[in-house]
Amino acid sequence: MATAMRLSRAEHERLARGFRWRRYLLAYLFIAPSMFFLLLVLLIPSLWVVYLSFHKGGILEPVRFVGLANWQTIFKDRVALLAIRNTLLYMLMAIPTVFAIGLGLALLLKRIILGNTFFKAVLYFPTLTPYVMAALIWTFIIHPEFGVLNVLLRLSGFNPLNWLSPDLALVTIAMLEVWRGVGFWTLLFLAALISLPEELYQAAKVDGASSVSQFWHITLPLLRPTFAFAVVMATIWNFQVFDSIIILTDGGPNYSTASVAWYVYKQTFTFSNVGVGAAMSVLMLLAILVLTLVQLRLLRRRW
Amino acid sequence: MTTVAPARTRGQVAEIRRAAERAHLRRRLLWWALAYSVLIVAGVAAILPFLYVVSLSLKHTESLIEYPPRWIPIPPYYGNYAAIIHHDLFLRWFLNTLIVASSVTVIKLVIDPMAGYAFAKMDFPFKESLFMLSLSMLMIPLAATLIPMYLLVRGLGFQNTYPGLILPGLAAPMGIFLLRTFMEQLPKDLENAARLDGASEPYIFARIILPLCKPALVTLAIFTFLTQWVAFVWPLVIAPDPNMFLLTTGLSSFKAQYRVDWGLVAAGMVLVLLPTAVAFVLFMRQFIAGSLAGALKQ
Repeated sequence: MATAMRLSRAEHERLARGFRWRRYLLAYLFIAPSMFFLLLVLLIPSLWVVYLSFHKGGILEPVRFVGLANWQTIFKDRVALLAIRNTLLYMLMAIPTVFAIGLGLALLLKRIILGNTFFKAVLYFPTLTPYVMAALIWTFIIHPEFGVLNVLLRLSGFNPLNWLSPDLALVTIAMLEVWRGVGFWTLLFLAALISLPEELYQAAKVDGASSVSQFWHITLPLLRPTFAFAVVMATIWNFQVFDSIIILTDGGPNYSTASVAWYVYKQTFTFSNVGVGAAMSVLMLLAILVLTLVQLRLLRRRW
Repeated sequence: MTTVAPARTRGQVAEIRRAAERAHLRRRLLWWALAYSVLIVAGVAAILPFLYVVSLSLKHTESLIEYPPRWIPIPPYYGNYAAIIHHDLFLRWFLNTLIVASSVTVIKLVIDPMAGYAFAKMDFPFKESLFMLSLSMLMIPLAATLIPMYLLVRGLGFQNTYPGLILPGLAAPMGIFLLRTFMEQLPKDLENAARLDGASEPYIFARIILPLCKPALVTLAIFTFLTQWVAFVWPLVIAPDPNMFLLTTGLSSFKAQYRVDWGLVAAGMVLVLLPTAVAFVLFMRQFIAGSLAGALKQ
C-alpha cells in the first residue's frame, strides 16, 4: 500500500524543483511592480543622463554625438564654475551653523523634562515644511518693506537690509536652510545623545569632571560617528539646493546664487542645452555616489 | 597632646549643608532659566514665520506696508481668502494636487507592501542584490535624473497629464524598506501555522501579514501623501500648462507676476499648509519617528 504512494528520487527532485521555481516566480511577481518603476524612473534615467552628457540636442533637435564638448563647456563656462563655487560656499555656511545650533538645542532638550515634547514639536515643525513652501514663507520674511526681518531691524533702530543683494543673497538662502533644518538635526542629535552610556558620565562626575570637560572629552568623541553620518547626509541633501533658489532669486543677482541644480535646470529647460545640463547632472551624480560610498564605509564601522 | 579639630555642633553642620544646597539650587535655577530662554527663543524663531504669514493673509495687500505693523490684524480682513477661493484656477490646482497625491499614495500602498513582503518573507535568486540595488537608488537625486525623465515622459506623450505627474512619485524606494523592516519584526508563528494549514503565499500576505502592518501602512500613507502634496520641481518641469499646475507651482506662479498680490499669496499658502499642520498635530509621533528612520535607514 505504502509503495504505491512512494515517489522515486528523480520524481521527488523534479517536483521539488517545480515547486521551488513556482515560489521564485511568485516572489518575482510580488516585487515586479516596484522594480518596474524603480528601473523606469531611477535606474534607466541615471544611465541615460550619462549618455546624454556626450551628446547634443534632444529637446528641439535630434541627438548628435559631440564627445567631450559638453564637459569642456561646464569647465570653461563662468556661470558653471560660479554655480559649483556657490553650492560649496552655501554648504560651508549652512551645515556647520545648523549642526552647531542643533547640537546645542539637543544638549538642552536632553536635560529638561517639562515641555520636552512641546519644544521638540515646535522645533520640528519647519522641517516638515517642504523646501518650496519654506521658500515661499521666506519671501515674506525677507521682503524689503513688510518682511519680518526688516520690520524687526527697524523697530530696534537699525537700517533695513536688502536681503537679496549680491552680497547677502547666498547668506539668505543658507539662513533659510538653517531655519528649516534645525529641528531635524536637533532631534537626530538628541536621539544620539540619549543613546550614550550614562555610566561614563557618572564615572566622570565621581572624578570631579566639570560639565564642560564632560562635553569635550566624553560627548563629542562619542558623537563622532553620528557627526560623520550627519555631515555626509547634509552634504548630499544640500548639494541639490534648488527650490529656494528658483523661488527667491532665480540664481541672481548677477549669478550670486547660481547653484549646481539651478544650472542643470536653466541649461536644459531655458536654453535647451540638454547635453550641458546632463554633464552637470552627471557631475552631481558622481559627487553623490562618492559621498554615498563614504557613508557606507562609515556605517559599516562599529560604533 | 594631639590637637583635635574643634568638633562642629550639629547646628553648624546643618547650616553648611544648607548653604551648599542653596548654592546648588541657585546654579540649577540659573541653568533652567538659561535653558528655557534659549529654547523659547528657538521655538519662537521656528514658529514666527508661519504666524507672520497667517497674519499677513488677514490683511489687505495695500495695508501690508504700513509701519509700525499691526502684528495681529484686528479686525481681520477675509478678502484674500474669498479672492483665492474664487480665483479661476485655485480650485482646479487643489483638485489636481488631490488627484496626484491620492493616486500615488494608493498605488504605493499596493506595490510597496508586496515588494516588502517578498524581501522579508520569501526566498528567491538575487534577492540580496536586488535589495541592495533598490537601496542604492534612495540616493539618486531628482535633479540628476530630471532631464532623461523629462524626455521619457514627454516621449510617452504624458506632458501636462496626470500619469506624467504621478510617475516619478511611484519610484521612491523608502516604502519598501519601511515595510520590509516592519514585516521582519512580526512574529512568525501566525504565518507558519497558516503555511501548515496549506495557505498560499498571496493568502498569507493579504489576510495575515497586511492587517498586522497597519501602523507602517499609516506612516507610509501619510508620508507619501504629504510628499506629493508639496512636490515642486517635477510638476514645474512636466506640467507647464496653468490648467495642470499643482498648488505649489500655481502659488509660485503668482509670485512671478509683475505686480504680486501678496495678501493673496499668503492666503493661498495658509490653505496649502493647513493640511500639513493638521496632520502633524494628529500624527506627531509617526512624523518624528518616520523621518528619523528615513535618515537612519541602514
